Amino acid sequence: MAVPVEYYLLLSAAVFCVGLFGILTRRNALMFLMSVELMLNAANINFVAFSQYWGNLTGQVFALFVLALAAAEVAIGIGIILVLYRNFGDVDVTLAREMRW
Amino acid sequence: MSFEYAPAIALLPLVSFAIALTVGSRMPKKGAFAGIAATGGSLLLSLLAVRQVAGGEHHNEELLVWAGAGAGTELELTFGILIDPLSALMLIIVSLVAFLVHVFSLGYMNDEGEVGLPRYYAGLGLFTFSMLAFVYASNLLQAFMFFELVGLCSWLLIGFWFREAAPPSAAKKAFLVTRFGDFFFLVGVVGVAVTFAGATETPLAFAGAESFPVVAEEVVEGSMGAGELATFGFAPQTWFTILGLLVLGGVVGKSAQFPLHTWLPDAMEGPTPVSALIHAATMVAAGVFLVARMYGFYAVSPQALAIIAFVGGFTALFAATMGVVKDEIKQVLAYSTISQYGYMMLALGAGGYIAGVFHLMTHAFFKALLFLGAGSVIIAMHHEEDMWKMGGLKQKMPVTYWTFLAGSLALAGIFPFAGFWSKDEVLFEALVHGLGASPFLLAAYAMGLLAVPVTAFYTFRMVSLTFHGEARTEAAEDPHGVRWNVKFPLVVLGVLATVAGFLNMVPVVKLLGASHLGPIPLEALHDWLAHGIEGVNAEHYTLADESLTHEFAGYTAGYVGSELVTTLLSAGLSLGLAVVGAIAGYRLYDAPDPTEHTDRLGSMKTVLYDNYYQDEYQVWLAEGVTAPLAQLANRFDQGVVDGVVDGVSSVSLLSGSRVRRIQTGVVSNYAALITAGLIVLLIAVGVLGGWF
Repeated sequence: MAVPVEYYLLLSAAVFCVGLFGILTRRNALMFLMSVELMLNAANINFVAFSQYWGNLTGQVFALFVLALAAAEVAIGIGIILVLYRNFGDVDVTLAREMRW
Repeated sequence: MSFEYAPAIALLPLVSFAIALTVGSRMPKKGAFAGIAATGGSLLLSLLAVRQVAGGEHHNEELLVWAGAGAGTELELTFGILIDPLSALMLIIVSLVAFLVHVFSLGYMNDEGEVGLPRYYAGLGLFTFSMLAFVYASNLLQAFMFFELVGLCSWLLIGFWFREAAPPSAAKKAFLVTRFGDFFFLVGVVGVAVTFAGATETPLAFAGAESFPVVAEEVVEGSMGAGELATFGFAPQTWFTILGLLVLGGVVGKSAQFPLHTWLPDAMEGPTPVSALIHAATMVAAGVFLVARMYGFYAVSPQALAIIAFVGGFTALFAATMGVVKDEIKQVLAYSTISQYGYMMLALGAGGYIAGVFHLMTHAFFKALLFLGAGSVIIAMHHEEDMWKMGGLKQKMPVTYWTFLAGSLALAGIFPFAGFWSKDEVLFEALVHGLGASPFLLAAYAMGLLAVPVTAFYTFRMVSLTFHGEARTEAAEDPHGVRWNVKFPLVVLGVLATVAGFLNMVPVVKLLGASHLGPIPLEALHDWLAHGIEGVNAEHYTLADESLTHEFAGYTAGYVGSELVTTLLSAGLSLGLAVVGAIAGYRLYDAPDPTEHTDRLGSMKTVLYDNYYQDEYQVWLAEGVTAPLAQLANRFDQGVVDGVVDGVSSVSLLSGSRVRRIQTGVVSNYAALITAGLIVLLIAVGVLGGWF
């Protein structure tokens, strides 16, 4: 019994919107990072879904790459957050606003 | 034998310039000896060049290509040397006068204890270098460059006493007025280059089968198509006339022809040897020499010739009338210089190529003599130049008197002094071509003839006031003696002013019907100039039956009775008028205490004394017309042109300062903007792609 591809796409869009909502509303940098992960995984769901739909493994391989990239991105993100905390005593992203016009 | 030494003719004075400038202040005569040695060397080398040219050799060589060398370029700019009879003759004149002036300067500057002498001798050296290089320039652009350089030297030397008020202002005026003419010259040079670049390899050269006068001649004649010439839609001959007149602008400025003559009288503020060298014998001759140099180009254009002749004739008369009322000896000489250059222009315009060059040569000798004589008088008078404060110097300065008298007789055109022969030939050429070809030339001739008695009158007024009568001031009673270094140049030039005319005794040839009297050639200069480089000689210009002036300008000789009668009539008329003028000038002013007879001219004298208000109207042109126009242009530039540029930049500045505010520094805002951008993009793609 195969699940139709539209369902996967709807799930993916829902996850993406949750992530986007998090980025737009949260001020905590850790929440930011998690929201970004959600958006990346929404893309992964699409990759896998279309891979299965077309009977082609390329999409699944791409999903593995995205996972690896996400891990690297998190490592850098955590580093930035640590520096942020050291400089501002908080992990609120709106505090660091020096780089502007 | 070749002409390998030719560059040294000009380079020797350049070396003396460098020496005077660098170590002149530590030398015994402050650089004078270096200058004397250098100009003496140039004179010897020039004599060598003349000997070789007399042997039938010519020299036309490119020395250096300084721009446009290599493949793929149409136009090469070069420095070169052209030595033919004309330039060899001029080399002698320039180096001889420069040499004598250097010697004279020992008396006029060193012995009088002037300061700044290294600067003076450096200026003279640089001038001599530039003038010699101009004289044997092989192309028009090189000629233009050295033409400018002599102008610079003139500026430096007129303003030699720059701590006084008048000399710097006179120097500036000379520079600006001649520069006004040179501007047209520059446009002409560029015009010639552009016009002939397509048709020949060497569009700027003066001589050779590919030179611009020769090409112009072939095109007008019809033996060469005009297709490769850029004539900007004009008929070739019309366009050549325009180019010729543009170059003539520089000539009129440099040779002090009406209406750009106003700088020359003011230039007398410079030291007198400088006036003799630059403002009488050589630099002022550069303009006339240039016309002679590219005579083949003017000869194909009857309009240009007519304008040259008319400007010349008018200037001859116009300047002579002003010379009549001047009080200062150098002012009289300055106006006579302008007037005599008018005669040369008249000769060249009237098809008298040889006559023009002949008068250029004799004038260089006798006018340099007169200026140096005036310099000697000025030394004796403790730098007093007003002739009314002189008088009775005849007994006290015999050498100066007799040489000055020789120069004056030459200037007045009295037989058998040099000026008689050359001026007579000028007038003769104008007369016969006026009779034969155009009444326009006759009008120019009439003005030239009318100037003869006026010239003789002011010359002898000057001689009488300066040397005759009784001493009118203490300085004149007890003049300061002059030494050998003043007398030597005077004697050399005095001899030349007496005998130089025998080089070309045209009336005698006509009278005898033979060109030689025994072994003595009677028209040596005539023969000298007639032969030269193919297409660049008097034979080709004016003498042959198929000559350029005859073919293209329609100059044919017309006679009253026979040729001999006309010759004698013309000579007799000019000599008679000169004698009348000379006797009048001598008689009226040869009194112990002469009165100013020109006062009888009444208000006319005021007009003459104020130079026909030429300065006033030129100042008005500058201040009343040019300055407001320039101000208007400035306002347009500042307001409209700059306004548009400033407007564009201030709009982008303002919008930049507004738009940059979206760069808040808050990461959430950026995320929101990116999201908004994505949504807008999606909607746009959707609408355009017809999803909805």
